[in-house]
Amino acid sequence: MKLVNIAWRNVFRHTRRTIITAAAISVGLSSMIFMNTMMNGADKMASRNIIDFETSHIEIFAAGYYREEGVFPLDTILENPALVADKIKEVPGIKGITPRVKFQASISNGIDELPVLGMGVDIENENRIFRIDESVVAGNYLKREGDVLIGENLASDMELEVGSYLTIITKDKNGTYNAYDLTVSGIISTGHPLFDRNMAIMPITQAQDLLALGTGVTELCIRANNENKLEPLKERMSQALGSDYEVLTWKEMNAAIFEISGFKRAGQFMIALVVVIIAAVGIVNTMLMAVMERIPEIGTLKAMGFSNTGIVKMFIYEGGIIGIFGSLLGCLLGFLISLYLVHVGLDFSRVFENMDIVYPMEFIIKGEIDYVNLLYVFLFGVFVSILVTLWPVRRATKLEAVDALRHV
Amino acid sequence: MVEAIDLYKDYKIGKVLFPALRGINMKINNGEFTAIAGPSGSGKTTLLNIIGCLDVPSKGKVLIDGTDVNELGSKEKASLRKNQIGFVFQTFNLIPVLTAYENVEIPLILLDVVQAKRREKIVALLEEVGLGEYVDRRPNEMSGGQQQRVAIARALVKDPSMVLADEPTANLDSTTAKEILALMQELNGKHGTTFIFSTHDQLVMDYSRRTVSLRDGRIVDDKTKSRDPG
Repeated sequence: MKLVNIAWRNVFRHTRRTIITAAAISVGLSSMIFMNTMMNGADKMASRNIIDFETSHIEIFAAGYYREEGVFPLDTILENPALVADKIKEVPGIKGITPRVKFQASISNGIDELPVLGMGVDIENENRIFRIDESVVAGNYLKREGDVLIGENLASDMELEVGSYLTIITKDKNGTYNAYDLTVSGIISTGHPLFDRNMAIMPITQAQDLLALGTGVTELCIRANNENKLEPLKERMSQALGSDYEVLTWKEMNAAIFEISGFKRAGQFMIALVVVIIAAVGIVNTMLMAVMERIPEIGTLKAMGFSNTGIVKMFIYEGGIIGIFGSLLGCLLGFLISLYLVHVGLDFSRVFENMDIVYPMEFIIKGEIDYVNLLYVFLFGVFVSILVTLWPVRRATKLEAVDALRHV
Repeated sequence: MVEAIDLYKDYKIGKVLFPALRGINMKINNGEFTAIAGPSGSGKTTLLNIIGCLDVPSKGKVLIDGTDVNELGSKEKASLRKNQIGFVFQTFNLIPVLTAYENVEIPLILLDVVQAKRREKIVALLEEVGLGEYVDRRPNEMSGGQQQRVAIARALVKDPSMVLADEPTANLDSTTAKEILALMQELNGKHGTTFIFSTHDQLVMDYSRRTVSLRDGRIVDDKTKSRDPG
């Protein structure tokens, strides 16, 4: 019979108390796992939306364009995209390239007018890089000049359907107002708020015509072979292109979003930490009770020649057993909640319905399980349980055998 | 041999100094069966605690086989208790989550006795104290008398040179108390272990060969019977 055995039996001396303490730990840990799964899922969705619809992996601009990207300047564009494409065609690691023209515009249905972001895309190439064609929910993808794709929210705001006409109005490169009548060929639902609410997508030639750009485009979007090795690819491209061009990865262009994500993570971690601290107080309380009610026992053991080390070990094992128990339960619970999040997700549409959110993701957030995090959370739970046991146990070791024996 | 030389012990309760022992001088030879008797507050338990290295005197010293225990550090005292002194308590003080067998096993684990040897000793001893069939019972499944038998087995299992028993029969009915005393007496005769116990129970004094009577921290009487009673 070993100390661990004694500790094990002591833990189950008060089964109910042990279960309540372990349950408190498990609630704390499972909430940590839950939040991690949610944040991972949200980040993954945001990343996918950015890559699949907005920027692809890397974008090339004319030097100076990106600094003013918010106003979409038409005087710093890529005048000759074919030349640019030619310069980087030898660079290894590129899967595909497609040009885009982005511009500020407004659309009118004859009654109402709304500001939108106009975007011209290369009908053929676009689908090798982005997934806009897959997100058409009504009508068809772009086929010819005169077609326009709009997001489902914009469609309902403007009361437009497939086949409806709309007028797009903008200032061209020379500052002259220009307008075209376009037919809604399809309605898209991407899950990216920018695309679903504010976007009018048309063939690139149409946009170039509208803006008097000639063959110029505002950007070239690059899909990489390996999305985990974008930095070296970016370096190679920058070298091939020289200083007249600016090359940016999707992460650089969305630094703000990852900053927000970092803050959210920190905030949610703090909440989870508070829950864990509450659980830790529970363990302290349980162990304190265990020590107090067993003072004569501790005295007896000391009288028999038990060392303080032996007594500390016994209680640490007890805290550890409760910790392992609670952490296992917490990880299991957290895992089950995570599974639900992965397969079903949480619907935030009611919350976000009228909010102007900058986070590029859908309203139904699906989770993403991080198994390494699961292991860390387990170890963290056990570690905290043992750590907080040390304080009550100090009381046990400070007692002299004779005082402990006298204690009633 | 245990020798107390001019032992004083004062307890401070609040600001008041309470003298528990006021100059105790006594010798107890190996193999004796001695009762330290007296009313409550007379200093019996204090004397036993000091002899058992659980407490330190304010003045004077205790020699165990010639060694001044005051000069031992706390680890050495713990080692002395582990090896040479067995304790029996008024409230039995068994570990409630352990069976009779496991309770008796603890002192042997502390002494690093191998398992096979432990088993042999524990089974024999539990048999000897009349609990051969109760090895797997937990304390709460046993009567007070049975629990005290386990405690006696626990005290004796490591073959100590002395067993200190603090009011061992105080929580037992008189029939059980007699059985326990007879058992201790038998073990004393058989193993030659020194037994020192505190009591205010006349029955215990009847069983003991020597009775040292305390009152207000002083020895007022020290009688040795010429032959074994009962």
